[in-house]
Amino acid sequence: MEQKLRQEAKALLEQKKIDWIIGFEAGSLKFTTTPLITKDAADTERLVINPFITNNLASFLTEMKGRVAIVAKGCESRSIVSLIQDNKVAREDLVILGVPCPGIIDLAKIERLVGKERDELDDISRDGDKVSVKVNGKKKDFTASDVLFDHCLACELPTPQEYDILLGEERKPSPELKVSGQNIAALKELTSTERWASWEKELSRCIRCYACRNVCPACFCQRCFVEETEPQWVMPMPRWQDNLIFQIIRNIHVAGRCTDCGECERVCPVNIPLRSLTREMYDIVDELFKFKSGMDKDALPLMVHYEQEEAEDLFR
Amino acid sequence: MSKKVNKKDIAQLLKEWSQQFNVLAPSRASGVAEMTEWDGKDTSFLEWYRNTVVPPKASFLPPMEEMFRFRKDEEGYRIEPPSKNGQKQLLFGVRPCDARAMAIVDMTFEDAYKDPYYLEKRRNAVLVGMGCTNPCESCFCTSMGTTPTDSTNVDLMLIDIGDYFLIEEVTAKGKELLAKASGLKEATKSDEAEAEKSKETSYNKVTRKLDTTGIKDRLLESFDDEEFWTKTAAKCISCGICTLLCPTCYCFDINDEMVKGEGARFRNWDSCGFPLYTKMPMENPRSEKWRRVRQKVCHKYEFYPMAFDVIACTGCGRCIRLCPVNWDITQVIESVPQKVKGAK
Amino acid sequence: MKLFLRLCYNGTSFDPRSEMSPESEWEPKLLGFLCRWCSYAGADLAGTSRKKYPANIRIIKVPCSGRVDSLFILKALRLGFDGVLVSGCHPGDCHYQTGNYRARRRIAIIKKFLEYLGVEPQRLQASWVSASEGGKFAEVVTDVTQDLKEVGPNQLFERKKNGAKTKARSEGAARAKED
Repeated sequence: MEQKLRQEAKALLEQKKIDWIIGFEAGSLKFTTTPLITKDAADTERLVINPFITNNLASFLTEMKGRVAIVAKGCESRSIVSLIQDNKVAREDLVILGVPCPGIIDLAKIERLVGKERDELDDISRDGDKVSVKVNGKKKDFTASDVLFDHCLACELPTPQEYDILLGEERKPSPELKVSGQNIAALKELTSTERWASWEKELSRCIRCYACRNVCPACFCQRCFVEETEPQWVMPMPRWQDNLIFQIIRNIHVAGRCTDCGECERVCPVNIPLRSLTREMYDIVDELFKFKSGMDKDALPLMVHYEQEEAEDLFR
Repeated sequence: MSKKVNKKDIAQLLKEWSQQFNVLAPSRASGVAEMTEWDGKDTSFLEWYRNTVVPPKASFLPPMEEMFRFRKDEEGYRIEPPSKNGQKQLLFGVRPCDARAMAIVDMTFEDAYKDPYYLEKRRNAVLVGMGCTNPCESCFCTSMGTTPTDSTNVDLMLIDIGDYFLIEEVTAKGKELLAKASGLKEATKSDEAEAEKSKETSYNKVTRKLDTTGIKDRLLESFDDEEFWTKTAAKCISCGICTLLCPTCYCFDINDEMVKGEGARFRNWDSCGFPLYTKMPMENPRSEKWRRVRQKVCHKYEFYPMAFDVIACTGCGRCIRLCPVNWDITQVIESVPQKVKGAK
Repeated sequence: MKLFLRLCYNGTSFDPRSEMSPESEWEPKLLGFLCRWCSYAGADLAGTSRKKYPANIRIIKVPCSGRVDSLFILKALRLGFDGVLVSGCHPGDCHYQTGNYRARRRIAIIKKFLEYLGVEPQRLQASWVSASEGGKFAEVVTDVTQDLKEVGPNQLFERKKNGAKTKARSEGAARAKED
């Protein structure tokens, strides 16, 4: 897949069919990749596809001008479709290089299972359903479902539905989608006071770095509500009350456009379980309006569309 | 002769010190690795390799701090300064990179205006350092003027020698601290040799190197190279992680909160990476991302050296490890072009 | 709206209910966002028809229920209001054609989301009240106020009594509620 990707990308740039290519290249840390955004055909040699391509590259599209070729896993293609629905990106300006994705490896899970930090691991490789971790010369095998990201285990679209070039064989969603509701299910068992208290505890350590908002493809407002001072909805001080309101409003604002790609939770430096919010919103939207974001580029966005009769039981 | 302490006796030592100090130690109890009030028993942090996610600067420059309260009455505004807490703190387990970073930040807060909030806490604190035995991939302290076991900026430094820590006395404060401690043994000559070996091993384990010769001038000459900076900034997402969690960063915002003529002034962490950081009524000089990225790099490696003769980076590696897109400052510094003088 | 915005502008850290004496019996404070074309007129009709309804409600007139953003609702709860009522034209009768359809979707997801988070469901309620339904408006306010009396005062955003949340981290911020 990698070879094909590099060839296609190079050809597209050389033939001036696109101005930019966005993809992944090897990162500066072990088992890490980093986005590669370039105009230079020579840079395409560095493009990679491996089990660590975590980022959702669609978040870069709203700031790019010109025609862009983008490497897209299933989650990216859903975000791209969502952006097309929102009229933020034109389909004609894109060349989507589809990558059927078997799921991305979560280093934190491996660290917990092996009991060692990532710097001490020698190698991680995947072969089908098996992930092998080499540490101190010894090999430990895991099933993929034990070490993939939670959002990958819940993936409903491993193969992009919108693409120009498909770089590999199509993959179907896993027959048993482990919709990682463990945390959500546990929360739903609590009383409402206990639930709110647990959110208070989690959001107390938020430092308002806004990484969760900035990695999100659905958050493309030039001026976010947190930056508004007239009126001032939330103060910039990192009190848990305002941190929680920030998350609540952010999730409501991206409802119907969030594809549960899980990036927000991955990038949070203080380990706040943000997917317990995004996934619940995703499920609410599905339950109330039978809407799954980013599936059909010709569909109307969630908050634009309406049916004559819906959700009436919530209104007096 | 130095003293040593058995790792198993650290809890006891901290208990003794708790009697006169508010002891802070690394802990993951809150959900993230940071310095928090020691809970009285947990010493699992002794096995950690990494430094904390939230740097110890948070103890002197907290994410949110009340500066003073005010109240409006018929005569005008009455201001109540914060009560001086005067509490003595002991920060246990400070890594050399973070300790050096504190000394670097001190230069700013002790400059023309002496920041009372920061300095009161800083001067009332004792630092007990803990040397690193297994530097991470992201660490590059050895290129930034310090080492994994450097004792320069702490009051006591603990060097790992197996079952024991060798304790290096660095300052008078540290000596005083030791005098109050029980359960310490005398270190033998072989312990001291072991400590020297441990230091060397740690030093050699730092694999990431950064050559900073001439970086100040290279950055000065490349200031207007928009193409270079745009390329460098392309994948940055303008969040605040690298700045908020950097031990040498100290930017803050000030806000007033008021309801019905009564309120308080706060300061809280801010980041030059945020798009609105430099927004003023008429313009925003750093509205483009490449300017903000340039600012971050130049502040650390050019402007701070110009003002204080030291690079404001200690190689702690947090920015590299925690960046959502793995933007790596060492790669950026290495790639800053060497411009030939006179050529355009 | 102006009062609401002024409250927003001035910050949120102080409890606006501080003027209430502790001895007086607690009365819920309900904030109502009424659409100018239907619900506000309906409320007015309730008044002219001398229909009694509790004075716990404070009304903000909005041009359409579709104007109500999640920010208003959360801000109201943050400021200390015990409940929020959003009321608009019946679906199909919106003066702006589709405004209340938007409101319907938005309020529906906000309600469900807040409930999941642990906000009592009675705190956000919504209704369709037309300009001729003065009686219905009085009924809605009465019922909502009763619900709020049962669910109790809004303590969602209260600072903990024991460990001031605004204390600097260096003084051992009681972040986690450890034993």
